[in-house]
Amino acid sequence: MSFSRRAFLALAATGCAASTAPPGRKTAPLWFTYGGKNRQVLEGLVKAFNLSQGEHWITPIYQGDYFEGLAKLRTAIAARRAPALSHVVGEVVPYLARADVLEPLDDYPGARQLDIVPALGQAGSWTGGAEQRLVALPFNRSTPIAYLNGKLFAEKKLAAPKTWDELRAVARAFTQEGRHGFGCPIDWWFWAALVGQAGGDVVEPDGRVSLGGEAGERALDFWKTLVLEDKSMKPPPGRDYNAWEQTNQDFLGARVAMIWTSTAFLKYLEENAPFPVVAAPLPAERRRAVPTGGTHWIMLRAAPAEQKPTAWAFLRFMHETANAITWATRTGYMPVTRAAIAQLEAEGYYLKHPNDRVALDQLGVARPWPWSPDLFRVQREIVQPRLEGAVLGGKGTRQSLDEARALATRWR
Amino acid sequence: MRPSRRFDPLWMLGPTLVLLVVFFFVPLLQAAKSSLYEWDLLTPPRYVGLDNYRALIDSGELGHALGTTLIMSAVVVVGSMALGLVLALALNRPTRFAGFVRSAVFSAYVVSWVSVALLWLWVLDADAGALTALCRALHLPTTHWLGNPKSALYALSGVTIWKIAGYSMVLFLAGLQDIPRSLYEAAALDGAGAWQRFVNVTWPLLRPTAAFVGTTSLIISFQVFDVVRVMTQGGPVRSTSVFVYAIYEQVFLNLRVGRASALVVVFFVLLLGLTALQLWAWRKKGAA
Repeated sequence: MSFSRRAFLALAATGCAASTAPPGRKTAPLWFTYGGKNRQVLEGLVKAFNLSQGEHWITPIYQGDYFEGLAKLRTAIAARRAPALSHVVGEVVPYLARADVLEPLDDYPGARQLDIVPALGQAGSWTGGAEQRLVALPFNRSTPIAYLNGKLFAEKKLAAPKTWDELRAVARAFTQEGRHGFGCPIDWWFWAALVGQAGGDVVEPDGRVSLGGEAGERALDFWKTLVLEDKSMKPPPGRDYNAWEQTNQDFLGARVAMIWTSTAFLKYLEENAPFPVVAAPLPAERRRAVPTGGTHWIMLRAAPAEQKPTAWAFLRFMHETANAITWATRTGYMPVTRAAIAQLEAEGYYLKHPNDRVALDQLGVARPWPWSPDLFRVQREIVQPRLEGAVLGGKGTRQSLDEARALATRWR
Repeated sequence: MRPSRRFDPLWMLGPTLVLLVVFFFVPLLQAAKSSLYEWDLLTPPRYVGLDNYRALIDSGELGHALGTTLIMSAVVVVGSMALGLVLALALNRPTRFAGFVRSAVFSAYVVSWVSVALLWLWVLDADAGALTALCRALHLPTTHWLGNPKSALYALSGVTIWKIAGYSMVLFLAGLQDIPRSLYEAAALDGAGAWQRFVNVTWPLLRPTAAFVGTTSLIISFQVFDVVRVMTQGGPVRSTSVFVYAIYEQVFLNLRVGRASALVVVFFVLLLGLTALQLWAWRKKGAA
């Protein structure tokens, strides 16, 4: 809009992006958006990349959670200080692509030959993703899975629920004073899983936002039954990733016996729980279904041209079998290349670590998202508040979803 | 009074004026301009006139943020003043124990908001929180304090009161210690009981202190952000989406710079109005 604003944003964006690259290396910044265990693993891989060759140097810079990182990325783009490399949640990739800020990757050497698991790449993650220019490569990809407190389940001699009815029964069986049987954030991602299991799709193949129709209502009513009628499900306080973290803490503190959350937390929960953690696939209603989640690598079009080859070299490095395996086995995310999965299978890794296998097996029933630039706005501003309104605010299920559908249709 | 050198006051005001212009007036004007555009920081801004204001009104977000903020402010101002006053009256004595309690109560004020929020997340946990355990022990009904839209805002108000009551207490203590003992002795000789002494001596002389405490509590309550960000993120069902958090959510989570700017402008006008009202009330009182 004006020079003064751009200058201000530039100052804010460049902040503390200092590099410690040895002289003579081509450098590129990597903006990443998670802390804890996953951060340690990523920084270890960056270090390995920097030591593995003498030409390039990646400088990793932490930028808060996914949304904080996205806000900073937008600020940097507006200030013309975009980093060469970052990663963003799948919902915003089409939005960023429409804004024309993503670097097309098709013409980079070997881009189309990367041995990516189809359901996790751009072509499989979005309906119509293959028809777009390649702008995103899979990084930390996940599905929601169930985590069970192995000690409590063994004591009651109960197994992981395979249907909604079983889930309801199990949740009730574990609920007592000071403990809920089931914990799950009232969040669009988990509701999308329920809609798929009830036989619907949040967005129809023609792009119409149906919110699952009758399946959407059944999904929401199921939550209401667990929260309001049975009082066996604990919706954590807070929203977004704070609510997810609360769910994790409830699980680790044995305040809930079973939770739904991302595969992203597999190693974190396994290492910190004072009881055996058992991962299980989500149950089926009319069918089995899960959405995929996590983030994709992106390169920014506005980044300095001399940084882009370094960023691309790092992306190639991350897709090498050994590195894809390191990332997946130390975090809980899924391996993103077929060769990595094949090697893990051959080495018997999944026999030794059956929890790691759960998300991978669910990929067969994963539902792709539509390539819709407005999807994340529909999610954040229209659907998410109405899910909370229906489950926690006492609003009618049909009324809430009809309202959301009408608004989403008008948006389109 | 006229200064001997006409421009000296201007030189002295200069540094403050520059800071005010750079960090307050310019950003405010920029926000007012941005509020007339639809902008996501990625694509070029598009002029939309007053559409951002209209969208905030039509969606009910403006009214909701206003209502939530005013309710929280009312609860926090009344609660922190009442608690601060009661504590000051109870602890206005020269004993070691009173000194220890005064320090303990005030310590909450110097702890960071984030630490306080994390502590209260545990206290208010629906299953294992201390408050829930206390209610159960006393056979009182419990609720999901932060997960229930009917209780979440009051829970956050309670946390804010707990945090700032020590500050109110210290100010009231200072006010109490300024009241001459002779007035209490005279009132006692006239046969006034404890309540009459409070109503006729203490409270009238504490009014200026109370006005100051009320004003500062109001400012703090309008600026509340950290507890909301850490404890509820505006939820559940937007029941704790106070003004400052709503601005943050629009710009950082919804990627809507225009609507966030519109909220900033409305917030500024609201605070300006409240400040004007307060100045008018003080001047009127001064004139009387």
